Amino acid sequence: MIEIALKALFILIYATFIGFMFMGMIRIVTARIHRRVGPPIYQPILDTIKLLSKKSNITHGLIYDFGVIYALGATILAIMFIPLGNIGVLRAYGDLVLITFLLEIPMLGIMFAAMSSGNPYAGIGAQRALLTMLAIQVPLGFAIVALAEYYGTFSTYEIVMAQQSMGWSITALPLLFAAIAYDLVLQAMFGKEPFDIMIAPGEISLGPMVEFGGKHMGILQIQHAIALFGETLFFSNIFLGGAAITIFGSSILNTIATLVVLLIKQTAVLLVATFMGAIFPRFTIDQATRFYWKWPTIIAALGAILATL
Amino acid sequence: MNELAIIVFAPLLAGALAWLIEVKGIREIIGVIGAVLPLGLTALLYQKTSEGLNFAVNVGSFNLTFGLNHLNWFFVAIGTLVGFSAILAMVSTAKNSYEWLFALMSLSGVLGVFLASDLMTFFIFWEIMTFASFMMVLHYNRAASLKYFLLSVFGAYAMLIALGIIYAKLGTFDFGAIQQAMYQEAYATAFGGETIMSKSESALIYILFLIAFGVKAGMFPLHVWAPDAYSETNQSYTALFSGVLSKAGVYGFVLLYVLMGTRLAIEFGAFRSATKFGYVIAFLGGLTIIVGGLLAALQEDIRKLFAYSSISQLGYILVGIGVGTALSIQAALFHALSHALFKGLFFLIVATIVYRTGKTTFADMGGLAEKMPLTFAMAFVAILSLAGIPPLVGFASKWVLFEAVISQNLPILGGMVFFGSAIGFVYLIRFVYAVWFGQRPTDLDETKDAPLPMAIAMAILALFNVILGIAPGLVAKELNKIFGKEVIGGDLFILDLGFGKYNALAVTIYLVVGIIIAGIIYFLGAKVRKVPVTDTYQSANPVTMEYNLTIRRNFFLPLKETLAFWLRISFDRLYRTIGTWVEDLAEVMRTYIYNGNTQSYAWYLVILLLILALWGV
Amino acid sequence: MVDWRLYEPLINFARKRSMWIVAFCTGCGGIEMPPLATSRYDFERFGIMPNPAPRMADLFLITGYVTPKTLKRIIITYEMQPDPKYVLAHGSCPLNGGVYWDGYNAIKHLDKYLPIDVAIAGCMPRPEAVMDGIQKMMELIETGKADGWKRYKENYEYYKKNQDELFGEGWREKTARRWIPWLMDKKKEVREE
Repeated sequence: MIEIALKALFILIYATFIGFMFMGMIRIVTARIHRRVGPPIYQPILDTIKLLSKKSNITHGLIYDFGVIYALGATILAIMFIPLGNIGVLRAYGDLVLITFLLEIPMLGIMFAAMSSGNPYAGIGAQRALLTMLAIQVPLGFAIVALAEYYGTFSTYEIVMAQQSMGWSITALPLLFAAIAYDLVLQAMFGKEPFDIMIAPGEISLGPMVEFGGKHMGILQIQHAIALFGETLFFSNIFLGGAAITIFGSSILNTIATLVVLLIKQTAVLLVATFMGAIFPRFTIDQATRFYWKWPTIIAALGAILATL
Repeated sequence: MNELAIIVFAPLLAGALAWLIEVKGIREIIGVIGAVLPLGLTALLYQKTSEGLNFAVNVGSFNLTFGLNHLNWFFVAIGTLVGFSAILAMVSTAKNSYEWLFALMSLSGVLGVFLASDLMTFFIFWEIMTFASFMMVLHYNRAASLKYFLLSVFGAYAMLIALGIIYAKLGTFDFGAIQQAMYQEAYATAFGGETIMSKSESALIYILFLIAFGVKAGMFPLHVWAPDAYSETNQSYTALFSGVLSKAGVYGFVLLYVLMGTRLAIEFGAFRSATKFGYVIAFLGGLTIIVGGLLAALQEDIRKLFAYSSISQLGYILVGIGVGTALSIQAALFHALSHALFKGLFFLIVATIVYRTGKTTFADMGGLAEKMPLTFAMAFVAILSLAGIPPLVGFASKWVLFEAVISQNLPILGGMVFFGSAIGFVYLIRFVYAVWFGQRPTDLDETKDAPLPMAIAMAILALFNVILGIAPGLVAKELNKIFGKEVIGGDLFILDLGFGKYNALAVTIYLVVGIIIAGIIYFLGAKVRKVPVTDTYQSANPVTMEYNLTIRRNFFLPLKETLAFWLRISFDRLYRTIGTWVEDLAEVMRTYIYNGNTQSYAWYLVILLLILALWGV
Repeated sequence: MVDWRLYEPLINFARKRSMWIVAFCTGCGGIEMPPLATSRYDFERFGIMPNPAPRMADLFLITGYVTPKTLKRIIITYEMQPDPKYVLAHGSCPLNGGVYWDGYNAIKHLDKYLPIDVAIAGCMPRPEAVMDGIQKMMELIETGKADGWKRYKENYEYYKKNQDELFGEGWREKTARRWIPWLMDKKKEVREE
């Protein structure tokens, strides 16, 4: 019992720290692409401390507060299910469909909180975020279907174990298609260009985030960090082979090696997303919807159909 | 055995009494007693279902038989629970005793449909149920009720023809006898022997039943009656209408499997690990999910939004039934239960809103969360359930359905089901933003919260949503009993399907822990001060309550533009065009043949007698 | 519960190294913000980021001249920011009127209506001067002397009296109502005072 609590706490702290490093990495890599110096890599931690230490905060009602807390709670719940080497707390129950659903719930909580402020920018932002989410469901669904059909199981842990012996998922053709479609979906899930229509800084004053300040924004930064960690970890586990190293004798060295390998894979996913984000401008919402319902859907559906043969 | 009679006939008697006795207080009490009796008896009869109760009434030359087994009990439990909540809410919103009579009559009808154990009883109570719900819609809007009536009658005639064929070929109406006969026919077909019904006849029966049950369940091309009929009636009654009466269509499909499934499977073969006839049902169900969901997002009227949402959720159930394995039918039944629970709750919420504010379009509402906090809390639970968020019951049923469909290697259906759950988020956010949040129009400033009977009814349904979500094993146990084997394993909190597991208790505990951690971080910060809704950033322009800044109309305009091409296809218009053609044809016949002219009638008589004389009669 | 004063050095370090600017370019000095943000005089290395929502921002750059029409919006935005918040007056116009010292509709003394922490003179100050000003601002935050927000809260009657004298009492509702006919009936004639 104590062991589970300690493991969960370790996962939480590790996820938050690495998530902040990822957010900082996005900023510094984008800055270097623009040939600037860029902020230090621990910048998001400073941002969060500054936001949480604001001396006055406002609220628009109970749902405004509760939605933000619920979003962070749901993200913490989501990362408990994703296998993290051999430390995963609930990894026996980490189902593909469950994790996909759980990674989308925080957005619902943020939408609730944003809309309760009654700001029309938040309303438009919520509408665009929802339509983007609707657009990404179709290739996402086909990618999950392709995975489940290929491996014959829904459990993420078993997929990781199967990859240890069969090689990475992307070496199989149907899953390569699914991985390409899922990577395009990840761009929208991170909220990076060209699909950051839901955030749209400057166009609708950050959309749903327009009325969040002070400690609410601090909590949302923590949520963004943990969500980044969770989504990259999920992608690495199901498509890039995960990691379950057992070559060393002591379990601590094994754990450290597993975490390092996973970190390298997650950073690779993040860098691909950052590079794509630095190049493209923003799509409008109907362009984004039409894009997602055309090419990624076709690629993912092809992957799903090939996987069932 | 007498209990079954009470379950079926008590609401009808209570309704008749309530209609006759026009006194306001006593009428409500009689009505509620009429709805409580079936609920209590259903709970008590749970022990006896394994024995199988029977009850027969002799009416002239044939018997009306009722029977209770595990499958029936499941549907009767759904029916009485949601029915009781709806009738309890009708205590506040019913306008006159006409509505009491027909609401209770339809409850009686649907319970009779579920408990029937031969086809004639099934048909009679199906007609009673349709008639009563038609009268409820007629009270409010004649055009909507006419559309509902025509489509239902079309389906009922199809069922009558199918019944006739079965009786002519097999000579009996009883379910048990028909099932035995069909098994024998199935084996005869498999081994190349003689069968009573030919292939085309069984295909005909299948198509007729598909039309009949599809109309009731709101399947894709036959769904056009649902939005108008669900909107234009007493909204508490719609909780019963869409929660329970549509399940009669679902029960019909399950009955189709029970009676004729083996025969049709062997007759028509399989299509990639699902039977061909099942795949038709499933594919139409998938189309229903998509069409219902997308149209729901574009509606401007609250009642129509939830009506289309009902159609969309029934598509899920049809996909589950269509795929045909034991697990997927269990998933479909589980989703039937959770749909009845959360959709009943939603329609009660809509009934409260309409009752208290008197308005039904989104453009007139806003900012009701402060004025109606209890209703908003219930709406929160219902929204989480429909969107499929753990740990509520909507997620458990959707999860089982999704796994059941994908494990059968049907990728297109899997993609459709996944799409449907995202659509759920979309129209729910529309509902929440336009009704509960934002600036409040000044004429809604004195809205009161839900009246007591409706509050109790909503609380009952919400409680079941939460309990069955945290402990889905309760439902899984009942479903396993229907099939007699352990299809969904696990214990009270865990659903174990062999290739996937879902632990509801762990999800709940960790969610609570996560919320506590977030709450700790929240409370470590500075205290908050509440600001009014006008203190919001509108590019630093000052904001007053006099100009509405909340987007209530055309919220999903980009979606409408993206789907502009597909929205031009409309089955509603197709049916109207067919209706106009039939009217024109009738007009032509009336002008030329039935033209009221005595001389032409005399000619008809002469020609007819001549033909008969030549024929030698 | 927890005595946050023990953590003041860390919190001040975080506050000075992550100032977020409200992306509200008030006057002709708005042209000076892009050179600061681009590669030559990159201010993101100090953690400064432009942010469109005032609820999350703490630094307000008043760049250039201020008219009453703009001042109304500046005050509304300033009051929406959470404490602690800082104002950097950029250019000579907020100090003493600058080139518009005899104009009838430019505000000569911004300090009467809004508390200013650091002022940078110049008609437009060069980016190096602005960097200098930002360094001074960071020094003030570190030593705890950047207390414009405290001054605003304590002397609120003084600021409010000056604002009401300039705009008239109840100016928020009046301004909002003045724009409603334009929004609703599409009347294109609105005189803003």
